[in-house]
Amino acid sequence: MSVAVKLLILFLILAAVAIGIFLVVAVSTRRPPQDQHEVARRGYTIRGWWFTSLLAFFVAMFATSIPFFPYLAGATALQPALKVPVIAMQYAFIMPTHFPVNKAIIFEVTSRDVNHGFGIYNPQGHLVAQVQAMPDYTNYLRVIFHQPGIYTARCLEYCGPGHALMEKTFVVGAK
Amino acid sequence: MMVDSELLKTDAVGCRVMRWYMGTGLSLVGFMMLVGLLLRASQAHWMPLSADTFYALLTLHGAMVIVALNMCGMGGLWFLMRQQISLRPSVAVVAYVLTVMGAAGVVIATLIGQFAALYTFLAPLPFHGNWPHWSTGVFLISMALITMGWIGWCMQMLGGVLRAYGGLRPAMGWDFVWHRQSFDAAGGRVPPPQAFPALMVGFDGLLAGTSGMLLGIALLVHWVDPRVLISPLWAKNLTYFFAHTYANLIIYMLAALIYVGLPYATGRKYHTSAVLAIGWWCSMALTLTNYFHHLYMDFVQPGAFQYLGELSSYLSALPVTAVTIFSALMLVWRSGMKWTLGAVFMYAGLMGWVVGGIGAEIDASVPFNVHLHNTLWVPAHFHTYLVGGCLLFVVGWLFLYVEARSDRRTGAAMRWLVGLLTFGGMSVFLAGFYWAGAYGVPRRYAVEPPPGPHLAKIASIGAVVMLLGFFVALFEWLRLRFGYTARYRATMIPEVGAHD
Repeated sequence: MSVAVKLLILFLILAAVAIGIFLVVAVSTRRPPQDQHEVARRGYTIRGWWFTSLLAFFVAMFATSIPFFPYLAGATALQPALKVPVIAMQYAFIMPTHFPVNKAIIFEVTSRDVNHGFGIYNPQGHLVAQVQAMPDYTNYLRVIFHQPGIYTARCLEYCGPGHALMEKTFVVGAK
Repeated sequence: MMVDSELLKTDAVGCRVMRWYMGTGLSLVGFMMLVGLLLRASQAHWMPLSADTFYALLTLHGAMVIVALNMCGMGGLWFLMRQQISLRPSVAVVAYVLTVMGAAGVVIATLIGQFAALYTFLAPLPFHGNWPHWSTGVFLISMALITMGWIGWCMQMLGGVLRAYGGLRPAMGWDFVWHRQSFDAAGGRVPPPQAFPALMVGFDGLLAGTSGMLLGIALLVHWVDPRVLISPLWAKNLTYFFAHTYANLIIYMLAALIYVGLPYATGRKYHTSAVLAIGWWCSMALTLTNYFHHLYMDFVQPGAFQYLGELSSYLSALPVTAVTIFSALMLVWRSGMKWTLGAVFMYAGLMGWVVGGIGAEIDASVPFNVHLHNTLWVPAHFHTYLVGGCLLFVVGWLFLYVEARSDRRTGAAMRWLVGLLTFGGMSVFLAGFYWAGAYGVPRRYAVEPPPGPHLAKIASIGAVVMLLGFFVALFEWLRLRFGYTARYRATMIPEVGAHD
């Protein structure tokens, strides 16, 4: 199961909980009306807990996510890796077509004309890495392919009417 | 039950301004939903369009939906604030004319000129397409007109609020929050809840509009003289600062309708509190830095902005859920509210706001964004927010408005029919986007890789059912509209307290 599908499941659970809360509140209107001050008194207490919990959750999420940021740290950039230039242009990628397994690769991604995206799909069709390809700039994307097979690079930034055709397949593993 | 509400006020000028803005905005939204259906049907291979036509229509659809919903927010908030502060209609009329002229220009540039650089028109794409050179100019000038209208509206709103409440500090409720005793002793007047969105939108909208104009002028200069170069990273930052903020402010404008509409529907009161004021201060600041999440995959962006983008995107959920949404739930809780279509739409809009927000927060996490950025997950969450949130608030408000003045009532069968068609269809329509996004289907593909086409078919069916629901709702709204009370028709003064 891909990371994105797990995220979909997480989203569905959270959305169901949220909708459930709304439905409970909606059904409460069938019960005898309660004085607004009484509702406010209890509601403010719950709100205080809600605010504190959500704040703590988001701060924890932020702290937890930082080590997983994909930006190349200086120390990592100095480690041995295969440097591979990728030039994007309307509507093609200029790049090698064979890559080794289990070896660090740093894609040096730029564009010759407009903004493009460089999204890498594994043999199962899961989006495993991506970076933007921007004219005048070079983005460095570090990837290690653990699984041999045929991968596909797709453009993930709209670049003109040929956008959907802009893809390139490459092989990871022995030639 | 006696209810005194701004919703019941009859300010002929305010009503007319709201009618023009919301009428035009909703008409445009209706047409653009049909265009959107055509695009999804094309992706489903049911009505294949050429790539040139597909992207020209996608440009039209994206730009016009945002502008149209923004117009609804502008009209609604203007109407409400006109009850509180001095607002001259001439500025609103000029802003309206500029926006409509801009919208007409976008239609010409896309339908006749086949301009297809999308509503984000990321530089330098507008100058690298196969569309005619003139259409790029028409599109850029049109967007500049829309932005000028927006800036004018924001300046009037911001100026009006600051003038009415005696400056920024009192308009923010600063002393009301921090020096309550002296504030009360001095007989201070705290702004009503809807004044906070007005201040926030006026301030943030002005900054966003100014950056949009700066970008527009730079692009127009390049259009005239291509030797003038523009940094793509600079342009991308300005594009998203303008576009994200402009789109995000729609729901903040419509929050004012919730602050007035829900108290009316529940028969309860909603006052300014310290928590509400602080919540809006936070939203005012966080909305300005959220846009960084659009550039997570631009690794050359300064690193601090990426961290700030994630933190700010997370924190922006706090004032929304802990203040506006939570207060709305407290208003409804055991209120005995009658579930008229106005109440149903407005309440469902709150749900759409939350559900779309969950999708957005997941995507705003940098490690997750790697797997979701520019897949169909992105239109999934913003369609939830725009159709399931903003549009429902506008429709709910308009229903509450006519329900308060009409002799007629909507029967239970009609409410169920509208609800099932609209929300059932909407759920299926949105599920197609989320599912495809989770399977990595890229957004903005005229021809999608699998499983995109299959999911586009499901989404198209959902969209048809949803549109049918809105269509039935339109007829019901007209039926209520033509059933205004005799007293209202004769005097044009609404029946305060007619609602029970």
